[in-house]
Amino acid sequence: MNGIIQLQIGQFLLIYLLLLVVLVVMRVCRIDQTRLLVVSSMKMTVQLILAGLILTYIFEHPHPLFVVAYLGAMTGFSIHRVLSKNRDLNPRFRLVTGVSIAGAGLCVLAYFVALVVGEGLFNPQYVIPIGGMVMGNTMTGVSLGVKTFRESIHDQRSKIEALVCVGASAEDILLPFVRQALETAMLPTLNSMVGMGIVSLPGMMTGQILAGTLPMTSILYQIAIMIAICTAVTCACFGTLYFGSKTLYDKKRQIIQL
Amino acid sequence: MEMIRTTSDLTFQDFLRYPALRVEEGEFAFVTGRSGAGKSTYLRLLNGSIPADPGCIFYRGIPLEEYQILPYRRQVLLVPQAVYLIPGTILDNFHFYYDARRQQRIDGERAAEFLRRCCLDFPVDTSCDTLSGGERQRVFLAIFLSLATDVILLDEPTAALDEATARQVLANIKEYCKGQGLTALCVCHSPKLVETFADRVMEMGGAQ
Repeated sequence: MNGIIQLQIGQFLLIYLLLLVVLVVMRVCRIDQTRLLVVSSMKMTVQLILAGLILTYIFEHPHPLFVVAYLGAMTGFSIHRVLSKNRDLNPRFRLVTGVSIAGAGLCVLAYFVALVVGEGLFNPQYVIPIGGMVMGNTMTGVSLGVKTFRESIHDQRSKIEALVCVGASAEDILLPFVRQALETAMLPTLNSMVGMGIVSLPGMMTGQILAGTLPMTSILYQIAIMIAICTAVTCACFGTLYFGSKTLYDKKRQIIQL
Repeated sequence: MEMIRTTSDLTFQDFLRYPALRVEEGEFAFVTGRSGAGKSTYLRLLNGSIPADPGCIFYRGIPLEEYQILPYRRQVLLVPQAVYLIPGTILDNFHFYYDARRQQRIDGERAAEFLRRCCLDFPVDTSCDTLSGGERQRVFLAIFLSLATDVILLDEPTAALDEATARQVLANIKEYCKGQGLTALCVCHSPKLVETFADRVMEMGGAQ
């Protein structure tokens, strides 16, 4: 296997020309998101360059503190993104969300790196990229789960009210909403597993193959990361929704505050 | 005997204040007042699904807080204004609410009896999806009426019905309540209906 061909800056810049095609399509279809396209591609470029510089530094000077700081920043950012999309959650629900994302994501990451790969927990080459994939997907999953939960509760106020009136317990009333939102949050991950290898060669595997890794090694990593992601998404979502739903009422008065 | 009494400082979230009110056992009482006076909120306060602050609600002379809330809500049953029925037959909907209470299901014959009381002459296996708004409201009402044990709080039970049907439904409900010894408190906007059926009328002033 050959190592990857280094991209030359001049040639690399050619890829940005493709954005012009996107712009033309947006113009023709009158999609008024030109600003977003420009801002998001610029943000992506700057953020990734920064990440590249920081990772280069950390790989050259490996230190547990750097790894912890990087993971902390990733976790914090994931939690922040989920919470900023769901501003009207009560403070206890927010706390539960944060703990669930951090807890599920970091535990799965530790299991993966320490037991499955068999590397040290502070080896930046493994912990940071795998952590990024686990955290990123957990963030998307929990975001979707919480959004579905809030929307379905909002749409079905009359159901909740009617059940409260007949004397059903708040737990019995809210549990179906938790179940439904959890299912919705898990489906994208489960579906992506189904198409994997046929419809698409996933990003991590592609990256490893481009870098010269044997395909069989890279598929093992891919399978492992998919299962890790699925577990992290499921646990984080379950924690957020199950314990979060309990913050919406108090046991004694059984008053549900949405 | 006094069934429900609320104190004169009863307030919900600072903007709805209520006069002291009481309902005697077995009465068919009405709550009236302009829109926005807080009539629906009053019924919710009575069944403990929203908190009163300050103010006190007494049920059979004992403050609401001293009851276990879920059994209390089953005794002081509120029929909310917003109808909720699951997709399926009328009997499925009876089962849905009985299951939610973890109560033994009602049989089809009994369910049909309650439908007739609400002026619905449908078989219980009729699908609810094809019913009109007024019919759905009456199915909803029939289910709740069948669940009532002590007090029934009705939030505009006849809002979606024409005058004649509303009159007949209310007459049947009142007859049923008297027969079963149920106490009823009904929010209603029609002065004619109130005049015909009320044992007691309580006027609400609204926001002060």
